[in-house]
Amino acid sequence: MIKRSKIQTAIVYSSAILLGLVLLCPVLWLFIMSVSSTKDLTTLPLSWIPADISFNNYISLIGDFDSTSAESFLYALRNSLIVAISATVLSLSVAIPAAYSLSRLPGKRRSSLLFIAIATFMMPPVALVLPLYSAMASLGLLNTHIALIAVYCGVLVPFTTWLLKSNFDAIPIDLDEAPLIDGANRLQIIWYITLPIAKPALGAAALMAVLMAWDEFFYALLFTNDIRAKTLPVAIADFAAGRVADYGLISAAGILATIPPVSMAYFLQKSLVSGLMSGSVKG
Amino acid sequence: MTALSLKNINKSFGDIRVIQNINLDIKPGEFVVFVGPSGCGKSTLLRMIAGLEDISSGEFWIGDRRADQLPASERDIAMVFQSYALYPHMTLAENIGFPLRLAKLPKDQINNKVQEIASILQLEHLLDRKPGQISGGQRQRVAIGRSLARDPKVILLDEPLSNLDAALRLEMRIELAKLHKQLEATMIYVTHDQVEAMTLADRIVILNNGEIAQIGSPLELYQTPINTFVAEFIGSPKMNLFPASVNEKKSQKKSIQIIGSNDEFAVDTNQHPPQELQTGNQIQVGIRPEHLVPSDTGKIKGTVTSTEQLGSDTYIYFDSDTIKQAVARINGVASIRPGENICFAVAHEHYHLFTSKGNRIKPTVL
Repeated sequence: MIKRSKIQTAIVYSSAILLGLVLLCPVLWLFIMSVSSTKDLTTLPLSWIPADISFNNYISLIGDFDSTSAESFLYALRNSLIVAISATVLSLSVAIPAAYSLSRLPGKRRSSLLFIAIATFMMPPVALVLPLYSAMASLGLLNTHIALIAVYCGVLVPFTTWLLKSNFDAIPIDLDEAPLIDGANRLQIIWYITLPIAKPALGAAALMAVLMAWDEFFYALLFTNDIRAKTLPVAIADFAAGRVADYGLISAAGILATIPPVSMAYFLQKSLVSGLMSGSVKG
Repeated sequence: MTALSLKNINKSFGDIRVIQNINLDIKPGEFVVFVGPSGCGKSTLLRMIAGLEDISSGEFWIGDRRADQLPASERDIAMVFQSYALYPHMTLAENIGFPLRLAKLPKDQINNKVQEIASILQLEHLLDRKPGQISGGQRQRVAIGRSLARDPKVILLDEPLSNLDAALRLEMRIELAKLHKQLEATMIYVTHDQVEAMTLADRIVILNNGEIAQIGSPLELYQTPINTFVAEFIGSPKMNLFPASVNEKKSQKKSIQIIGSNDEFAVDTNQHPPQELQTGNQIQVGIRPEHLVPSDTGKIKGTVTSTEQLGSDTYIYFDSDTIKQAVARINGVASIRPGENICFAVAHEHYHLFTSKGNRIKPTVL
């Protein structure tokens, strides 16, 4: 390994600290806002440390079940969980065999299929939303979980397929042929060999899929209209849409909404660290 | 132990024919080595036997069962890959036991079999490790162990030793030969290393451009190569090919003279197809480096260009009038310097005669 001089080390560390600050400052400010009183948030100049700290905003979101804000927040949380997890599970269960087939099986038409799938992923949502809306309306699916899950799968399947395919491509073909000779069929190869080796990629794909579904706003805003199907981004926006925007409440909802994906990332980080490939082929 | 039979096997990728008209019968328990330069189709042929590549036309039989349409998993063939292809997320025990797990054997039975194989291959103390934590030679043993798990009828080995260093390769070569005796399994071994082929094989199949050039025991190939390709491929350093002419001699005999030398010898044309030894024809005379003996009265002359001292042998490279970089192999240390003139004598029974196109003219010499 090349030894770094002290100046180089200092530059590396200060850049890392700067990056950390840039990334964490908004989150920190969001948290400060969530525990500040409305008075502190409307007095100029704003101060980093609020005069009185209270967790009332959190209580009114998740503690006080009778308040309307708690009702809309908790329903939105439930809807978001259902939609994000279902969309992720469904799209991964399609993307895994699809990615395997695109990566491993012969045939020229397969690769063009992947390009078409990627192309749909590139289309701006605005171009698709009107036909989708009328389709959902005539199917009677507006304001249901199914509508959002279906739309999100349409976005996630091409994305996760592409992500997994490029990871499956990196697995040596010998690791497909050896189990074939050992007596495995294709599904057994995927289950016993490909997926365990591609675990980091699988974790990354699942995480990205959950995040995309969790954060999606545009379709959720248009396809849902009450607490039966509204997801968190829409519900949080609703808090700002009233006559008076309660910034503390919005911030508290924002902080709470980040907890599920952040904790998921925390638990998946082990599987995200790769290094499993060493020693499988050659020396 | 099972016999294998390949009948008129062909393989094409699009318009390119990579395997052409292969006919080969492999006896039960035989150790057959496919050898040839890179791109000759030897690995493709092995993969066709394994079921990893389709056979474009022809028949493939395993024992008395036609197998060219059988999927790889049903052929009861095991294969050791050049890259080892160990499963990186499984322990060595799980790697070796994987084929048995797929066959849904009970756990204790799998364990017993894994222990048995591990003791044959001296891997008992490593069974809990993962492939990333062991050396190249040990990985090679695990790969062989996995291929033994199902007691397969046939074991295919695709350049299994090519990733090992020279000392380990020698060791594994001896172990493989031992293992073959012990298991009595039919083995097909692909290599580009003619030393491995010569030392391991019961029979060698030499492939060139997707066709079988010659099949035979190692010594058959060495002593009676069917054409100049085989002659140059088997033996190290490779055989020297000198241009020669056919001259008329009295009493129905002809003589062959290596061009540029006064080395002339008689052949009985009654035993030869006359069109190959017509007077005035150009032919080639092959002489193995070890048969060139330095001698002051020798008739093959040249100028030494370089020498290689191997301790046990000395390789002398020389230019003659007609060929550049001919090579002679002399036992022990020879004190010959580049630039010196040198003469070699050759016993006539060591001549190999080939037509100008490279096919053997037999029998060789009177």
